[in-house]
Amino acid sequence: MIALIPVRDGTLPAGADEACAEASGHALLIGSGTHAAADALTSLRHAILAEAGDYAPAAWATALASHFRSSEPPYVVSSPPAHPGGQPYNSLSAPTPTPGPSTGVVHTPGQLWITDKSPGQGLILPASPDGRDLAPRIAFALDIPLLAGAIEIHRTGARLARWGSKTMVDVEVDGPFVATLVPGVRTVERASENTREKLNWPEQDAQDAEVLEVLPPDPKTADLAEAPRILGAGAGLTKNNGKEAIELLEKVADALQASVGATRVVTDAGHASYQRQIGTTGVVVDPELYIAFGISGAAQHIGGLGAPKHVVSVNTDPSCPMTAMADLGIVTDATALLEELAKEITHE
Amino acid sequence: MSEHAGPATKTATPSTSAVTFDVVVVGAGPAGSAAALELARQGHRVALVERGAFPGAKNVYGGVIYGRILDELIPNWWEEAPIERWVTRRQTMLMTPTQSLTVDFRTENWGKPPYNGATAHRAKFDAWLASKAEEAGAELITSTVVTGLLTENGRVVGVRTDRPEGDFKAQIVIACDGVNSFLAKQAGMYPDGQVHHTTLGVKETLALPRETIEERFGVSGTDGVDIELVGGTRGIAGGGFLYTNLDSISVGVVLSLTELGKAKVRPEELIADLKRHPAIAPLVKGGELIEYAAHLIPEGGYKTMPKLTGDGILVTGDAAAMCLAAGIWLEGVNFAIGSGMYAGRAAAEALSNNTTDLSGYERRLHESFVLADHRKLKGAPELLLGDRVQNKYPAMICDLVENLFQVTNPEPKPGLRKLLRRGTKQHGIRLRDLAKDAITGFRAYG
Amino acid sequence: MLIVVALRWIESLTSGLGAADECALEHALRLAEQLDAQTLAVTAGPEPAEAVLRTALASGIGDAVRVDLTEDETDDGSRVAKALADAIPAPDLVLCGDHSADRGTGATPAFLAAALGARQALGALSLTWDGKLLVERRLDGGRRERLAVGLPAVCSVEPADVRLRRASLPGLLAARKAAITVHKALSTRDDRITVERTRRFSPRTRRVPPPEGAEPHTRLLALTGALAEHDPPRLVHPADAKAGAAELLAYLRQHGYLE
Ligand SMILES: Cc1cc2nc3c(=O)[nH]c(=O)nc-3n(C[C@H](O)[C@H](O)[C@H](O)COP(=O)(O)OP(=O)(O)OC[C@H]3O[C@@H](n4cnc5c(N)ncnc54)[C@H](O)[C@@H]3O)c2cc1C
Ligand SMILES: Cc1cc2nc3c(=O)[nH]c(=O)nc-3n(C[C@H](O)[C@H](O)[C@H](O)COP(=O)(O)OP(=O)(O)OC[C@H]3O[C@@H](n4cnc5c(N)ncnc54)[C@H](O)[C@@H]3O)c2cc1C
Ligand SMILES: Nc1ncnc2c1ncn2[C@@H]1O[C@H](COP(=O)(O)O)[C@@H](O)[C@H]1O
Repeated sequence: MIALIPVRDGTLPAGADEACAEASGHALLIGSGTHAAADALTSLRHAILAEAGDYAPAAWATALASHFRSSEPPYVVSSPPAHPGGQPYNSLSAPTPTPGPSTGVVHTPGQLWITDKSPGQGLILPASPDGRDLAPRIAFALDIPLLAGAIEIHRTGARLARWGSKTMVDVEVDGPFVATLVPGVRTVERASENTREKLNWPEQDAQDAEVLEVLPPDPKTADLAEAPRILGAGAGLTKNNGKEAIELLEKVADALQASVGATRVVTDAGHASYQRQIGTTGVVVDPELYIAFGISGAAQHIGGLGAPKHVVSVNTDPSCPMTAMADLGIVTDATALLEELAKEITHE
Repeated sequence: MSEHAGPATKTATPSTSAVTFDVVVVGAGPAGSAAALELARQGHRVALVERGAFPGAKNVYGGVIYGRILDELIPNWWEEAPIERWVTRRQTMLMTPTQSLTVDFRTENWGKPPYNGATAHRAKFDAWLASKAEEAGAELITSTVVTGLLTENGRVVGVRTDRPEGDFKAQIVIACDGVNSFLAKQAGMYPDGQVHHTTLGVKETLALPRETIEERFGVSGTDGVDIELVGGTRGIAGGGFLYTNLDSISVGVVLSLTELGKAKVRPEELIADLKRHPAIAPLVKGGELIEYAAHLIPEGGYKTMPKLTGDGILVTGDAAAMCLAAGIWLEGVNFAIGSGMYAGRAAAEALSNNTTDLSGYERRLHESFVLADHRKLKGAPELLLGDRVQNKYPAMICDLVENLFQVTNPEPKPGLRKLLRRGTKQHGIRLRDLAKDAITGFRAYG
Repeated sequence: MLIVVALRWIESLTSGLGAADECALEHALRLAEQLDAQTLAVTAGPEPAEAVLRTALASGIGDAVRVDLTEDETDDGSRVAKALADAIPAPDLVLCGDHSADRGTGATPAFLAAALGARQALGALSLTWDGKLLVERRLDGGRRERLAVGLPAVCSVEPADVRLRRASLPGLLAARKAAITVHKALSTRDDRITVERTRRFSPRTRRVPPPEGAEPHTRLLALTGALAEHDPPRLVHPADAKAGAAELLAYLRQHGYLE
């Protein structure tokens, strides 16, 4: 198995390291600034770098597919310049087949993929916005199945999150497949060293959207990203009177010297600003204390949560993922509890 | 029933884009669906307008439906209605915070056709009844709120809804919009434009495995239990109930709004009280809360009913305060179905005869159980919501029984008369009042 | 110009439509008004799925096509996309939801773009037309990106910003009787995938990195957590909110978050 990681200007997408770890440290980085991006991959053991320029999912998919398909290495692999900080690149003048990782993928330098029907040939992308863009296009171009939104991937299949992470489905695949791994689902083992090689990238005629600009994260999110204590608002807290609930939560947060975060359901409903959204497509936080009010604990939310020392979940559902991962799970109505808490804390 | 209608509040005239039906029925609760079903069956163009996303989406009630009236509307309804359990066991429990006295009745007869009472979820039951109306040809229009009546020369000629171009024109409007009926008020059917005598019903649905319910309540298959609770509401006028569904139970209280306001307790606390009561706790133990709901109940009975027929409009069900909420009875669905059905019939009759005369509605109501029961029980609400029945009698009776069963050796056993005297005195009840209430009771229920 | 909106019918939802699909529908209507374009709603599913097409027609969509697939057959997004692409005549723009409420992968729109040979813009937060299609979408880590998208294109939208308009009463009644074209679907069953089982979600076990420490003994102690102070997770069912708040306060005090 190999991770396929789209890179923009040397920036890794959310979940890149986990995808790489899931593929036992093997990754193909594609895009712009792949060298620098590889430096930031802690689990990387072996990298193939494809400097393919600006993000272009359709064009990349077409080119990668023909590359993966061919039995002969179609592109000349050049000796890249030495990269400071990184490991020396492989010399590829005399490609010697190296045994694949234990997962069974056969990997030859310069030849990424052998499309016979043998199992264990998984292509793993992070389920980040860019990864989710690219994965279906590659699966389509290769005409192989896509296992989207996986929380665990193995040689012959994956475990997929469905219904907003309320259920999970185990699927098995006969033959090669593409999968996307939800960020935040696993820990990342650090690799001691890595090797790199470079893949020449052909001219491509794009059928892609044109990127006009990338807007940086709102500076207002900085306080949340750094906050040591966070109270999180979920749909279970805001479903009846969202505005009031958030105001109360802010009051309680003040008293506890904490910040207020929210799930995407809450920000989408307009109860809290987007800068408050915690998760893979929101702010990535790493507090010491996280108190979740009416949050189900979808993988995309947990994916931005870091590793809090203390987690409390207030939820009417005793077996939702958020409560399952909490140190203290309180099974009760979140709004009512918050009201009581406000009374108590403002007394103090 | 009030003979004098109050003034109608402001109404509009239909816009030119209005869509036309013979009849518009407002509200797809049991009353509305029954009315629409009757009309559609007789070939009239009827629109059934419901504000919820589907019929029953937000409707709340305790949980027991008495099906006799359905016999007339949908023969063999029990073969297809979405029923949870058939009530074969009825209990009335008098309680104080520490005591309870239960009258327990069970009969096999209620567990087979044509059955008596059944527990059902309103979301399913209301949707089912509305689907019968749709099958018969009624147009069910959901997610649509009726916002007002349309009138021409004082006659109701349709309704306005919150949809763009949302006017309906119709020859007859049937208001089945439930308690606090905005339409009945707007049509001036309530004497002073105000609905009185509503109580608040709140209930929790608790999930429990089917086998657990069967074990705890001593029933099997699809048999079920209906328990009415008297006296467990911290002195606030009202009562409680506990019903078994297939794999959940409903526990709730019905409370006087004014007293609730004065007592400054939250209804949830009263349900929590009930669930902790020694007689109830073992029944609800381990139940996982899956729903909490609250709704008003018109509880004034016959004396508080509005005018039922207006010019071009009929009022039915809870909208007409036809819910019978008198202590051991909490019946509204059957009265809603009955009145809706008769309203549908009367409207069909008027349409077929090409008249605007809707007097057939009240005639049918008087001939049937709908108004007969209400007339008979018209004194019951006052009696039942009074302080003595609510607070003093349950405590007195429980003490009486406790003393009766308590072994007091070496003292001799006290006589019943002595206990009664002691009990009434201790609970501040004058024997004269007891006798008076007994007579009222006999008149009301007898 | 033809604007198509692809709607996924979900039986367990009252309206049949997920929030994102409702937004896609509204965007389609707005763009069509602005560009004076023709509109078509399409769904792949069994007959009851026509409910969502009628919702679309009632809101003002011009035409409707149902691609006849059983509910099971719509499990696979790539298959759905192929069937949809086969059924819709050369659209200029296809609007989809960012993710369906059930499967929720958001992959179908990208498959559809691939099958149609169109450009894609996924997860749009806003969608405007200014001589060309301008899209703003979320990237990770709170960043956003603005795209100019040439046609033909498939664009999926997040359930944000817009709300589906209310259908007019005459529109609603007319939609009930409107004709819906039924398209026989391509047979593209993918028998390479087998679903083993479906369960309640539980997070993946986290692998703990090997502990530091010179001695095997200390490493072992560290691994078992014998040295660290550690409370086992607790699940409490408080009698009421007050008791729940008390639990929380006690916890906060115990761990030094409160005096
Ligand atoms: C590509 C993608 C990216 C995403 N990115 C993010 C992201 O960055 N951040 C994010 O948060 N989400 C993200 N999501 C959405 C995510 O999948 C979930 O839908 C979302 O996190 C769920 O939010 P929630 O827990 O508030 O709502 P729900 O999942 O609806 O959960 C509500 C919870 O409240 C509980 N509850 C209900 N009533 C009560 C009550 N009275 N008292 C207490 N509890 C109650 C329920 O039991 C439930 O557990 C993303 C999704 C996708 C597809
Ligand atoms: C807690 C509780 C327990 C009860 N227990 C029982 C019991 O066990 N057995 C029993 O028989 N009865 C019981 N009842 C009473 C019973 O619920 C009612 O009497 C019955 O529902 C009345 O039916 P209806 O059709 O008149 O009104 P509803 O059922 O209230 O229906 C009215 C319908 O109109 C719709 N509507 C209202 N306004 C508008 C508008 N402006 N535009 C469009 N639609 C509108 C509503 O959404 C609703 O669907 C109980 C009630 C409560 C609150
Ligand atoms: N069966 C279907 N018919 C029509 N459109 C669909 C179907 N399934 C998915 N879609 C579209 O693809 C979007 C994303 O769905 P999904 O890939 O399931 O997350 C949905 O919001 C729809 O717009």
